[in-house]
Amino acid sequence: MFDHVEAFYRPSTIPEALRFLAKGHGRGRFVAGGTHVVVQADRSIRFLVDITRLGLDYVRQGSRACVVGATTTMAGIENSPAMLALANGILATAASTSGSVQERNMATVGGDLANASPAADIATPLLALDAVVVVADARGRRKIPLADFFSGPHRTVLGRALLVEIVVPAPPRGGRVGWSFQKLGRTESDISVVNVAAGLQVDLRGCCRWTRIALGAVGPTPLRARTAESRLVGQRFDRDVLERVCDAVAREVRPITDLRASAEYRRQMSLVLTRRALEECAARGGCPL
Amino acid sequence: MKTMQVCLNVNGESKEWSIAPGDLLLDVLRREGYFGVKRGCEAGECGSCTVLVNGKPINSCLMFAAQAEGREVLTIEGVEQGGKLDPLQEAFLEYGAVQCGYCTPGMILSAKALLVKHPDPTEAEVRDALAGNFCRCTGYLKPVEAVLAAARIYRQVGPSGARPRAKHRSALHGKKR
Repeated sequence: MFDHVEAFYRPSTIPEALRFLAKGHGRGRFVAGGTHVVVQADRSIRFLVDITRLGLDYVRQGSRACVVGATTTMAGIENSPAMLALANGILATAASTSGSVQERNMATVGGDLANASPAADIATPLLALDAVVVVADARGRRKIPLADFFSGPHRTVLGRALLVEIVVPAPPRGGRVGWSFQKLGRTESDISVVNVAAGLQVDLRGCCRWTRIALGAVGPTPLRARTAESRLVGQRFDRDVLERVCDAVAREVRPITDLRASAEYRRQMSLVLTRRALEECAARGGCPL
Repeated sequence: MKTMQVCLNVNGESKEWSIAPGDLLLDVLRREGYFGVKRGCEAGECGSCTVLVNGKPINSCLMFAAQAEGREVLTIEGVEQGGKLDPLQEAFLEYGAVQCGYCTPGMILSAKALLVKHPDPTEAEVRDALAGNFCRCTGYLKPVEAVLAAARIYRQVGPSGARPRAKHRSALHGKKR
């Protein structure tokens, strides 16, 4: 399948990895877990650059952010105490549904983002958490908000840069914050038909102070439902408002029909999963409906 | 054809193999005679090609052989020790958990990784650990029973690979959970 590959490089530093990729003149490819690169079997690949030896397998808990190295595996995220403690563990939950045990031992968070599947389970909670990706190229490092990173189905703004790490800022302070990840797939570990990640903060008067609603598999990229969010902030969090917000989400998503589900079904399930997510956020934030 | 060297450890033995840069670990292992590594879907779905790399189950159809440099690989051929079957292998035989046998190496390796880390799993944990290993003979119940039975032996004698002696054999048939 990869008969045309002329060289396989195993660099130990980021500059070295970037140099090897540049030498490929567009026919080189970074590879980490292999779960996307091998399955896609792009026959134009002539050079492979293994990035699993760059020391990018880590989860670091800082005071203002949690930083996840790009080659941290789904299993690594799922079992990380910092990830389990952050935002009701929605990143760990999403990682634990990203395929079988074998796939989760191989697939990396950076690889899943760079692959830019609209249905990637880990991307949706990262969007809800306002994650920022750090990328490196020959000119140095720069930060890109995850919301600006995806440009279409399986397309990103990465170019020939290397995704180095993902910065997850600390959730809002002040308490009464809850988070939820909801997924609908044929089985628990199958690719999502729809997934939703949400965060909610309700003040002592019962008003929504802050919210995030992100969805996957219902548009060309994982997306934030910004109109729906704006209809919730400042409102009293009750059943009526919840229904209006869920309706707004159903209008805002842009699903397609494919072999897994129809656009119509995805739209309806976006509404249902958003309702479940916000209900769970409220319960976890200590202000159940 | 360009070639490169890869140094790795397979089933406790150091190996240095000449490979093509685009070779997948599955293909290289089979070429070197490890036929217990089964070729199935070649897309990471079925788990027939499961091997343990540094103790963790992975699909060898999705890993480039060059990535195994410096790693420890365990295939089904390395699970028995000194001609003695692992308690998991004994349990699969005792419980009739083998039908056509194609998925069995992968199932045993996935189960071994689970039991080494977690010798007292619940049935749900066993099912989750085996969720990446498809059996097209539809035989999931007996493998789950076999893994739970082997777990009892692992707790008694450890994952040393010792063949269960008479008293352990009776433990294999102990109370089902």
